[in-house]
Amino acid sequence: MATRELSGPPSILPLYAKAALPMIPGASLLPFVPGSGKDVPELELVMPEVTFDAKSLAAYNRVCGFTLRDAVPSTYIHVLAFPLHMALMGEPNFPFGAVGLVHVNNTITQHRPVSMSETLSIKVTASKLRPHAKGKQFDMVAQAKAGRTIVWEGVSTYLRLGKGDPSLKVQHEKVEDPPVSATWRLEGGLGRRYAGASGDRNPIHLYDLTAKPLGFNKAIIHGMWTKARCLAALESVLPDAYKVDVQFRKPIPLPSKVTFGEEISKDGIRFAVRNARKGTPHLDGTVVQVAAKKR
Amino acid sequence: MSQDLYTQIVNSPPGGFIAKRVGLPQPTTLDRYRPGQPVVTGQVLIGAAPSGRLAGAIASTLADAQADVATTLAPELRTASADAGLDASVFNPEAGGDRRFKGLVFDATGIKDSTELVELQKFFHPSVRKVQSSGRVVVLGTPPEATKDPREHTAQRALEGFTRSLGKEIGKGSTVQLVYVAPGAENLIGSTLRFFLSPKSAYVSGQVARVTPGEPVPTDIDWERPLAGKTALVTGASRGIGEAIIETLARDGASVVGLDVPQLAEDLNAVTSRLDGEAIELDITSDDAPKVLAAHFKSGVDIVVHNAGVTRDRTLAKMPEDRWSSLMEINLSSEERINDALLKGKRIPAGGRIIGVSSMAGIAGNRGQTNYATSKAGVIGMVESMAPVLADRGITINAVAPGFIETKMTAAMPIAVREPGRRLNSMNQGGLPIDVAETIAWFASSASGGLNGNVVRVCGQMLLGA
Amino acid sequence: MTPTVRRVAVVGGNRIPFARSNGPYAHASNSDMLAAALDGLIERYNLQGETLGEVVAGAVLKHPRDRDLTREVVLGSKLAPETPAYDVQQACGTGLETTIAVANKIALGQIDAGIAGGVDTTSDAPLALNDDLREVLLDANRIPDTAGRLKLLTRLRPGMIKPAIPANQEPRTGLSMGEHCAIMASEWGITREAQDELTIRSHNALAAAYDKGFQDDLLTPYLGLERDQNLRPGSTPEKLAKLKPVFGGPEGTMTAANSTPLSDGASVVLLASEEWAKARNLPILAYITEAQTAAIDHVHKREGLLMAPAYAMPTMLDRAGITLQDFDVYEIHEAFAAQVLCTLAAWEDPVFCKERLGRSAPLGSIDTEKLNINGGSLAAGHPFAATGGRIVAGLAKELSERGSGRGVISICAAAGQGVVAILESAGGAK
Repeated sequence: MATRELSGPPSILPLYAKAALPMIPGASLLPFVPGSGKDVPELELVMPEVTFDAKSLAAYNRVCGFTLRDAVPSTYIHVLAFPLHMALMGEPNFPFGAVGLVHVNNTITQHRPVSMSETLSIKVTASKLRPHAKGKQFDMVAQAKAGRTIVWEGVSTYLRLGKGDPSLKVQHEKVEDPPVSATWRLEGGLGRRYAGASGDRNPIHLYDLTAKPLGFNKAIIHGMWTKARCLAALESVLPDAYKVDVQFRKPIPLPSKVTFGEEISKDGIRFAVRNARKGTPHLDGTVVQVAAKKR
Repeated sequence: MSQDLYTQIVNSPPGGFIAKRVGLPQPTTLDRYRPGQPVVTGQVLIGAAPSGRLAGAIASTLADAQADVATTLAPELRTASADAGLDASVFNPEAGGDRRFKGLVFDATGIKDSTELVELQKFFHPSVRKVQSSGRVVVLGTPPEATKDPREHTAQRALEGFTRSLGKEIGKGSTVQLVYVAPGAENLIGSTLRFFLSPKSAYVSGQVARVTPGEPVPTDIDWERPLAGKTALVTGASRGIGEAIIETLARDGASVVGLDVPQLAEDLNAVTSRLDGEAIELDITSDDAPKVLAAHFKSGVDIVVHNAGVTRDRTLAKMPEDRWSSLMEINLSSEERINDALLKGKRIPAGGRIIGVSSMAGIAGNRGQTNYATSKAGVIGMVESMAPVLADRGITINAVAPGFIETKMTAAMPIAVREPGRRLNSMNQGGLPIDVAETIAWFASSASGGLNGNVVRVCGQMLLGA
Repeated sequence: MTPTVRRVAVVGGNRIPFARSNGPYAHASNSDMLAAALDGLIERYNLQGETLGEVVAGAVLKHPRDRDLTREVVLGSKLAPETPAYDVQQACGTGLETTIAVANKIALGQIDAGIAGGVDTTSDAPLALNDDLREVLLDANRIPDTAGRLKLLTRLRPGMIKPAIPANQEPRTGLSMGEHCAIMASEWGITREAQDELTIRSHNALAAAYDKGFQDDLLTPYLGLERDQNLRPGSTPEKLAKLKPVFGGPEGTMTAANSTPLSDGASVVLLASEEWAKARNLPILAYITEAQTAAIDHVHKREGLLMAPAYAMPTMLDRAGITLQDFDVYEIHEAFAAQVLCTLAAWEDPVFCKERLGRSAPLGSIDTEKLNINGGSLAAGHPFAATGGRIVAGLAKELSERGSGRGVISICAAAGQGVVAILESAGGAK
């Protein structure tokens, strides 16, 4: 597998422009526009020296509801890895553009708390395409190391809507929703605030007007915000080392009122986000403790 | 009497601007006492040369006067303040801060040798710039004649040069006095320290006062009305300075008796009836005047102020005898006869006060006033001669020597005479009758038993005859 | 019924390094910093899941949104959520006052263990709406109809946009704390040289404390800071003499060096009954044996704004039956070097002790070699409410290392208040 080292985080805005280009009919025939490949390229993108900046971290924590502790939220490392996702999806031989991809699942494993004064190296690769009931899916696999120790791993599963394999349709288990412990009011500008704090300026999150061309009536909140907000709600009960897995169900249009439910047991934590009025499922997640690595 | 016109003009914004530009003297509007006011409005700083003997007395006086006080870091001052119940803050010139003082009091009694006079420099150098306008500086020393050691005598005598010079350079309507406190008279400094710190001494500067052992301060003294229960006679009380004197003594609680010649009966009665006092229409030079007064004051008179006086100016070459004699009768001889009669008749009790009114002319002399100056120098002589005699009876005698005081008399002077008289002093202005009256009230105070034989000028430290 | 009074143990403390205003903690809120300090304490003393008697903390500059600042921080922490909490605010006295509040409950047997602390940020200070604007908006809220509300809008003026910034100013005198202290310095005759000397000593002592590892178990790094940002050891009188005065006018003696800078930080202290600490195998560094708060009238009687500790001390000493000289360690909060020196001068002064304290003799002087031996606020910085916790934990540890002895804390606070307390080594007072 080829490895490319980036000296700094790639700028996301041009990546989005590039990511959107394949939506223009015929553009993907151009050599620098993604969409020309048949499968996800075998490429590893690495950012060797990732440091934290208190101001950005504070802004992120505030919009997600985290306390600004010395240990950074595990979802924040995803934010740092995200430009690599975009860069990889912007490769010319990437089979399709990033715009239009649906983030369906995210799993993060925090092997130990990461202090904001640490320096990490982050690498991202993509898995092979595999079929999905509604199209094709693939994983962006990210890994963060402090020195030689893997301290964090993240797997984001993206879906490319299209011709799928209906036999793969997941039957959601009929389990009782975890009991509601909080109601959150998501204001209309939340997508823009999170976009500012995370750098993910996907137009579907910004304004109704920019979301419409991409098939959404209203702007929707980032799935990773919703996940982060859940972890912030659970901050006092999260173990030092854990794996948090969420499925993004229906998008949350903005503004919205949603409920957060949680159930803490010896096996871990089960949590869910639902529409406050209709109960529409937005997110299902679990936290399980994993063996902690020493610092 | 209000301020003279010039002082009013240069204290107005445009007038002040012009005066500054053309280098005219800029007299400060002097603070003057209003009843009910505290002794000092502003902080008083106390300093001392090491091993002085007045720290306790100064602290007690200021504590009693409820003054806002700071002291230097000298441990003896801190201890004395604590003992006196004086809640004094600290002033250390090296500590900076925007400190301003209304009064500076320095106990120089510890200075026993000329080499120690540098203590004056050490205390006043950093503090004198911090004195507010109408500020008060009082240096306390030991009367040179009361010292035993020649070196100490020399050093204490030297203080006078310091205070007189500082008075001339301090400016801003501030005054500087030297008070010699004889050993044993420490507890009698109260009235003097209060007077010299208060706005009552607005026009007194560069003076030397001596406090010597005498009648103790009444324990129940009311400083707002120190003459309560006393009877005071003021001659020449119908107008001008005399009117101010009788008003001031009445303000201080005395039952007042005003005296003037029958020609001025109307004016006199207006004054005394306003003050709830008595009026005596009498020519003091008449033969029976002493007898009449002795008879009038059967139950005694505590305070006698010989204010009545006249001028009969003429150079000696043109001076006829009657012009000389009639003045001498009014200004001096009648006073002596009245004193004698009242004293012989035991009309003045212990604690009594006789106060004369001398004049700058009596000290420095004045052209065209040989008769007047002679009489006024005679008043000084009267004070000097009678003080030791009266001391035995618990009575004191002192005199004021006014300089240029704004009265109808001075207003009538030709401008070439008036203006130099008005301006040639440390205050750059004339005094007011009230300034003379306040000084007399200080001598009259029941607390002033330590003041005997003093002649204090009320002249704004006139440059003449200094 | 007279309740039995129990001894109150200081188990330990934790704080985050103190940062200068708008420095590394510029974007951290009070709750962030208090949480960080609390996290470290929980970790150090294994308090995860513990239900404590109470957690009491506070902040001087507090956002309206932080209605229950301490309680919310507890809920976000690893302590059991059943741990009650409340906020206290007494200006710079907050940290010590919270300690006293918790200690008293422990002493009376109402609780067995608790955490006291404080936090302040001058970077993330609460800006209030301009009062005029606030009034218009509140009126608008009271008016039911839109037309009425629109009419109200005509009252809006551009100047109303200017926010009301909380000033470090005494409401009744209009003077800042520094200006008040400059007056005190002048009234007590405190020289620039003496202030600068105390400042240098403070920095050198704190640096030495770090160097010998004294601070290792008193703080946890936060946002990249491992030592107090303000710490500048090795300064010289010559260097400090070059600084311009910042308070007291051009002749003033107070500079940016001999005054504490605006700071951000948080501190917490774990207090417990002896039984509670022993049952958990936790150390007892010292006992809190006495405390006193006093206030003065800086408005009408013109007492120095920061002189209240000078009043609190003799009351406490009398109750304890000891003298000012009976201490092995003195911790006098260095809000300003001048404040410390004024306090010491006052205790030595016959006038102050007689006239203001009503005592026949001065309290006397102290051995300054025993003063702020591990550095003070001038070096560490002074996030108002966090200072008390820093001092309590530091003094307790110093007494514990000595094995015996007695220490005293004196903290001045805005609005004319002062708090003092006595700590005794677990090994005994002497």
